[in-house]
Amino acid sequence: MINSRYANMMQAHWAWTVVLVGLAGLWLAGVGVQQPSFAVRAGVLLSAIGVAGGLVVLERRAVRRRETEICRHLEALCELEYSSVAVENSDIHDTLPPDSPFHGPLARLRSILTSQASRLADSEQARASLEARCRRAVSDQQRLADIVARIPEPIVAVDQYDDLVLANRSAEELLAFEESRQTAGRALAKLDRCQRLIALLGDTRKRKLHAPRSEDLEIEDAKGRRRWFNVTLTSLRPEHGTNACEGVVAVMRDISRQRQMQKQHAEFVTSASHEMKAPLAGIKAYVELLADAKDEVTREEFLEVINGQTDRLQRLIDNLLNVARIEAGVVKVNKQPRALNDVLVEAMHVVQPLAEAKQIALHSDLSPLYLGVLVDRDMILQAAINLLSNAVKYTPPGGSVRLHSHLAGDDVQFDVEDTGVGLSPEDTVRIFSKFYRVEKDKSMAPGTGLGLPLAKYIVEDMHGGRVSVASQLEKGSTFTVSLPQAVHVGRDHEVVR
Amino acid sequence: MSARVLLCDDDIVILKAARFKLASAGLDVECASDGQSGWEVIQRWRPDLLITDCQMPRLNGLELIKRVRSCPEYANLTIFMLTGKDLELSHDELIHLWKVREVLGKPFSPRELLSKVIQALQATGALEPSALPVDALPLVANPAVSSIP
Repeated sequence: MINSRYANMMQAHWAWTVVLVGLAGLWLAGVGVQQPSFAVRAGVLLSAIGVAGGLVVLERRAVRRRETEICRHLEALCELEYSSVAVENSDIHDTLPPDSPFHGPLARLRSILTSQASRLADSEQARASLEARCRRAVSDQQRLADIVARIPEPIVAVDQYDDLVLANRSAEELLAFEESRQTAGRALAKLDRCQRLIALLGDTRKRKLHAPRSEDLEIEDAKGRRRWFNVTLTSLRPEHGTNACEGVVAVMRDISRQRQMQKQHAEFVTSASHEMKAPLAGIKAYVELLADAKDEVTREEFLEVINGQTDRLQRLIDNLLNVARIEAGVVKVNKQPRALNDVLVEAMHVVQPLAEAKQIALHSDLSPLYLGVLVDRDMILQAAINLLSNAVKYTPPGGSVRLHSHLAGDDVQFDVEDTGVGLSPEDTVRIFSKFYRVEKDKSMAPGTGLGLPLAKYIVEDMHGGRVSVASQLEKGSTFTVSLPQAVHVGRDHEVVR
Repeated sequence: MSARVLLCDDDIVILKAARFKLASAGLDVECASDGQSGWEVIQRWRPDLLITDCQMPRLNGLELIKRVRSCPEYANLTIFMLTGKDLELSHDELIHLWKVREVLGKPFSPRELLSKVIQALQATGALEPSALPVDALPLVANPAVSSIP
């Protein structure tokens, strides 16, 4: 820009010089008219030079103007970004003389610029679209990573070099990756918490199995707990083509609870079988003794024992059946107005022989008031028998069990109080869980771990009552059952739950 | 003097049935309702044969057997195990390690029990062969023949 101004200024000086030379030539020619001599000739010459110079200057200025115009157009072309603008600026040629040599180069330049601008626009569009796709892919990947991270099942994946390429949060916690959030690229061999898992991943990769395989594994978690997992391993292979294996993904499902349930179930079947075997053994032994017995009194005595053992078996089967009905969700409840004391007396009669056999004093302290309840007699009887026999079972010989009934506000209550082994605070909660038996007291008596949960279910779920327990280790326990008092005597209620 | 048999079981019905059968055959029978009281009876009464259940309060059958076998003075005590857990116990361990003579499962036959008791007592010399009760050996199915003397 500065050079251009300087050039213009210089050109202006030249123009003034030529004009001054022309004027000087005219002045000398005027003087020469009066004195025709050398001055005349010099004046004419200078005038001619001035005129010629003026013409040259004028021509140069015209050329400069055109150059400036071309520059302007070139600059406009330089600023072209889009083909549309290039087309709009197609009047460049109009400003040039028809015979200007710039027409050809300018046309080519315009064509090149136009096509470049068009390409630029296309690539700009493609870039924008790619950017959008890229953003979407990043967000999809982030979402996928979030989903994988939040899946509660531990997931690990290895590549074809047995390097870990993925381990979600659960896997990191289980396999103690916390110290290094960056799991990618870690060699599989470093995953030393479960050697069997390493072996499975490596083996699945080498064997290139098409179908997923699964296996149950026991793994010690970071907290030192032994947990069971069902691991499903799938080979990662390219979508099309070869038999190559690009890695293996292992999804681990925690089956500790299932295992625990299976174990509990097996224990339950064992204990239920033992419980049934006991009265059966009594029946079988006494049937044989009965066959050998001579006198009528002995035979009567034996028959009574057999009868008692049959009742014992019947009660056990009732308990099992009721639990099965509860599990199946179909429990028929036949509620009728009853006197609670009548049901309790019946329960006492059932448990009395058990208590006598263990030399346990069974006391009853029943309310003199009429304690009306709307209950399924058989169910409440079973609950009361279960609570009483539980007290007898876990009270050492020589102890006592007391049954007490009374009115408590709007409810009627009965308490089963024993001088037995008692319960720890944790066990007072857990004894109502199905199949749970206090470990240290297991040897005291056979049992299925169903009596107390069933009593609680009968009282609370079927009758809207409540079972609670207060206990002290080595001193004894008191189980309290509250039932809503029946306010009026209505017709039989039958409810199917 | 008759041979002495100690019955150890927490199930009173089983105790009564076995005691009736053994006592009817003329054996001297005592009962204990758990391992601990069984151990006390062993020390006090010195039985010739111990018939014990496995699952019992205070001291279970296996612990009782181990305690008995750890005392040289009771080394010759013949032991039977009468249990509903016969399938879950290692018979080899009971018989070879703890020298249990018989492992009987529940339900059991009082006749078979008596028969095995008599056999064992005679084998160990606690019972004279002449003292063999009518229904003890061989095992018979007809109750009319197996009457108690």
